[in-house]
Amino acid sequence: MSNILVRMSEAVIEGDVDAVVGLTEQALNEGLSPKDILDNGLVSGMDHVGIEFKEGNMFIPEVLLSAKVMHASLDILGPLFAETGTRMVGKVIIGTTQGDLHDIGKNLVGMMMRGAGFEVFDLGTDVAADVFVEAVREKTPDIVGISALLTTTMAGMHDTIEALQEAGLRDQVKVMVGGAPVTSGFAQKIGADGYAPDAPTAVDMAKEFVSA
Amino acid sequence: MRVNYQVNATPQFRILSDDQCQEICSAAFQVLEDTGFELYSDSKEISNLLSESGALVEGRRIRFPSFVVQKALDTAPEVLTVYGRQGNRATSIEIRPNHICYGLGSGCVQFLDPRTGERREYHREDAATVARVADALPNIDFVQSLGTIHVHPNLVDVYEFAEMIANTDKPIVTYARTLGIVQVIHQIATAVAGGEKEFVKRPNYLVLGSPASPLFAEVEPTKRVVYCARHRIPYISCTAPTCGGTSPATLAGTLVQSTAEVLTELVIAQTANPGAPFLVGGVLSVMDMRSGILSYGAPELSLLCAAFAEISRYLGLPYYSTAGATDSKLVDEQAALEGTFSLLLAGLSGANMIHDTGFLESAIVGSLQYVVMMDEVIGMVKHVLRGIQVTPGSMATDVISRVGPGGQYLTDDHTMEHFRTEFWFPTLLDRKPWEAWKGAGEKSLGKRAQEKLNHILNDHRAPSLPEPTRERIHTILAEAETKAAKR
Amino acid sequence: MRVNYQTNNSTQFRILSDDQCKELYSAALQVLQHTGFEVHSKEALDLLSDNGASVKGDRAYIPASVVQRALDAAPKCFFVYGRQGDRSKSLDIRPNHVHYGLGAGCVSFQDPCTGKRREYHREDAATVARVADALPHIDFVQSLGTIGNIPQNLTDVYEFAEMTVNTSKPLVTYVHSMEILRVVHKIAVAAAGGEEEFIRHPNYLVLGSPASPLFEEPFAVERLFYCARHQIPYISTSAVTCGATSPVTMAGTLVQVMAEELAELVIEQLAVPGSPFLLGGVHSVMDMSTGILAYGAPEMSMLLAAQTEIARYLGLPYYSTAGCSDSKLVDEQAALEGAISILMAGLSGANMIHDVGYIEFGSTGSLQQTVMMDEVIGMVKHILAGIQVTPESMALDVIDRVGPGGQYLTDDHTLEHFKTEFWFPTLLDRKPWQAWEAAGAKSLGKRVQEKLNRIMDTHTCAPLKESTRETIDIILAEAEAKAGRA
Repeated sequence: MSNILVRMSEAVIEGDVDAVVGLTEQALNEGLSPKDILDNGLVSGMDHVGIEFKEGNMFIPEVLLSAKVMHASLDILGPLFAETGTRMVGKVIIGTTQGDLHDIGKNLVGMMMRGAGFEVFDLGTDVAADVFVEAVREKTPDIVGISALLTTTMAGMHDTIEALQEAGLRDQVKVMVGGAPVTSGFAQKIGADGYAPDAPTAVDMAKEFVSA
Repeated sequence: MRVNYQVNATPQFRILSDDQCQEICSAAFQVLEDTGFELYSDSKEISNLLSESGALVEGRRIRFPSFVVQKALDTAPEVLTVYGRQGNRATSIEIRPNHICYGLGSGCVQFLDPRTGERREYHREDAATVARVADALPNIDFVQSLGTIHVHPNLVDVYEFAEMIANTDKPIVTYARTLGIVQVIHQIATAVAGGEKEFVKRPNYLVLGSPASPLFAEVEPTKRVVYCARHRIPYISCTAPTCGGTSPATLAGTLVQSTAEVLTELVIAQTANPGAPFLVGGVLSVMDMRSGILSYGAPELSLLCAAFAEISRYLGLPYYSTAGATDSKLVDEQAALEGTFSLLLAGLSGANMIHDTGFLESAIVGSLQYVVMMDEVIGMVKHVLRGIQVTPGSMATDVISRVGPGGQYLTDDHTMEHFRTEFWFPTLLDRKPWEAWKGAGEKSLGKRAQEKLNHILNDHRAPSLPEPTRERIHTILAEAETKAAKR
Repeated sequence: MRVNYQTNNSTQFRILSDDQCKELYSAALQVLQHTGFEVHSKEALDLLSDNGASVKGDRAYIPASVVQRALDAAPKCFFVYGRQGDRSKSLDIRPNHVHYGLGAGCVSFQDPCTGKRREYHREDAATVARVADALPHIDFVQSLGTIGNIPQNLTDVYEFAEMTVNTSKPLVTYVHSMEILRVVHKIAVAAAGGEEEFIRHPNYLVLGSPASPLFEEPFAVERLFYCARHQIPYISTSAVTCGATSPVTMAGTLVQVMAEELAELVIEQLAVPGSPFLLGGVHSVMDMSTGILAYGAPEMSMLLAAQTEIARYLGLPYYSTAGCSDSKLVDEQAALEGAISILMAGLSGANMIHDVGYIEFGSTGSLQQTVMMDEVIGMVKHILAGIQVTPESMALDVIDRVGPGGQYLTDDHTLEHFKTEFWFPTLLDRKPWQAWEAAGAKSLGKRVQEKLNRIMDTHTCAPLKESTRETIDIILAEAEAKAGRA
């Protein structure tokens, strides 16, 4: 393992954006491939962060800082991926269901998914079913994540799943749902593929979905 | 005789000094002037109201010069009474500075079955059971449904309210989430009160609303504020930020933002109808930085709510606090201690209404077992809050002299005369010696709480509403159901 | 810049006003002067009589001026250290500085591994000390029991020896005879590093007690004199039950216990002016159904908070009681009774708060309760620290930066502050249901037991010097030989 990539992992863990950007450029100059840098410099650092987080040694703001730092590097590497055929771990569309303007939970999930190496398209809040459908058509994601904070807006999740069905897109994506009033029972009832009670579980579930 | 005697008639407790309250309030005023808040989506009615108030409107961004907020504070009442359902005084809540009362919460999606303890979905009948049990508990002063029913969104709160008002005559707090729902509930409430005029004289319920954090408002909830103001329905503006998530990580920062948020709704309410009854409310806590949840058991919740009570009192507004809740998944030792802390601290803070007793699992699960246990704790807390009376009679130096060195007080008249009022008598906490406790079944507090709950479920009957009123409610519900079916 | 700014840098709590403290103190003075205090010790009575008190038989009538002189002589602050002069473990006995610790004397013990209620054994003192040594919020140690499986005459000595070896935190001991006190003191002096070292760095306190109501037993006086002469910090703790050994009214109880403990103060300060002395209390109601001193009653917390304030008003430190319960199990009742008393005692600013780990109204000692309450103390300390209101903490610039509809999770201000603003539980669980279930669906009680197991498996305290250990062994051997001959 190249020393640069080890140091890059450490910089990701420590949330040192300047170091990571510098090391990214240095790595590219030394001829390392974007994929190598992604896997062994960035994702490896975030994997360690994930472990530390699960053990209770690191906390959400620190995880998000590491994710942010990782993305400073991705801003440089991103354009090079297309050239070299490198893919991110997966593609995710997230949004808060129609009529719901609460987004802290969704934002947390989005940020942690990015930290895990997913490409995330955040549709924001109050997202109608047809907007989800259009986004799926356009971006062809692996996963659609819908969040709701109010029991009154939860029905929108069902609407979105039905709309995807009608549009013939349902089989192309995995749908996961979450939010305080959502239960696994409800998720099953509406035909979602998964229910995540918190952001870390959502990320783990997303990883399972793309590796299956 | 003793003169120039200043006593603590009850314990004294403060988190913030007056100067600190002043700093936070000034800062909140500054936020409203400089940063302002945003109103999502357009409503001519609300826009007009805001302009009328003196607000500066730039597209979505609304700023309040301080004089606008001050005007609203001047007209807002500090004192109000909420009555029992038919205007009964016996179950009324006096909302006055430092007068406290306790009650339940609402909105949990799951419920601990009152008999089996099984964690399941909340059903319509549960609202009736909750109200009936709350009706029986001596230390619960106001009722909320402790859950949320999975039915048509326009009927959730309506059914809960109808069940509650049929099963208790204590005042009810409803989280009626849309204007349409409030209107239906208001019909029910006024029917029970005896008419619109009667309701204004003796309001029997409160509406729980919530400004959104940070610093934004949605139109539908705002319309609800206006409706309540115009119909003089006591309205609770209850903000629920999470430190580090939807409010600053520092507690003082969260207090500044929360104060600003509730003041925006205050301005709207007072502009719509000066003098409309309005309570500041808060479920203020940290975002737990491992799980991302709003932590209901955190010490910061108690700190923030107590401080917010002091800030409200400083501004001359009543306060609706939060206590008796836990992050625990069980009614276990964690639930017991987290609930106890918050109940004591909220009481010490002098908050006018203290809600959410009975919340497990960070407000995901409602539990009557927990309510029963915490009802006992509230009794204990109230005894603490009564403090110690220091008078010649209570100091009893003559009795001390009479009994003398080496004597005993058990058989003294003074003891007989006073022990029933001086002491707190637990009904659930156990003080038996080991053998007696073992002989009685070796039960934990949790088990005894379940048994007490069973007794209440089996025996307690709430007074029933008169037949014409029940019919009227039935009609209102039928209309609401028809309307909902059309959607 | 903000001027003329008065802030609360911690919570503020008072149960009594200064006027009420004054009233209660005056009434106690009146009791001492008019009703008097019985002292079953000629030496003490002579001392009192020679210094302004009026003595008739066993009864001493102590005028207010004599009490006042004693208060003036008593030190307002002093320090107790860890053994071997360890400053890092010291107790700062100063107004409103709080410390928490264990209790002693329970006849039963909850087995730390199995949870079963049984007799307390010598090894338990070692375990208790070792566990207490590991817990971050336990500042002083007591044995949490009284050894039951060996003859009584040396039990306090063995407890003290085991604790000395297994923790470097300060100890509190309750001895049953002068012979035992002399042996215990030898051990403590050895652990300090010698007589002169002990004077400089006293490492233990003696718990004493007047008898209620209003008398002093011969042994109690001897103990008091010994502590004064050897500069051992002495704690005067009445343990009354309202309505039985003190008046049923709380104010009446406060008057009586103040009188009793001030009498001990007077005797001690007359013997050796300036001796370190704490007022103390384990006062509660007598439960009128069962006759016990109710350790879980709210009245106990109220009485002790009140007496703490009277003590502080008089310039004396206070030894309070909390973290205990009447429950027979470490269940929800134990949790809530312990929690409420720990919070109240902390709010009251008591200097030393003991009995953390008592269940069954003091009949059973439980390390499970201690471990649970250690978490609670951490939580309470966070509450006591209050809220800082400064431009930085009010964060107007951050509020403006994040703006309406924004989020603070990724803001630098959050990263900078969340670790100090927030309290991080180690035992209390905040996981979502699924994660909690996957981790074993454990109650707090279960997690407490696991933490206790971990501590017992892994924690060792800093070792005593070898020479000190040898000295202690010799002291024990001598004491055993002497007891064998007796």
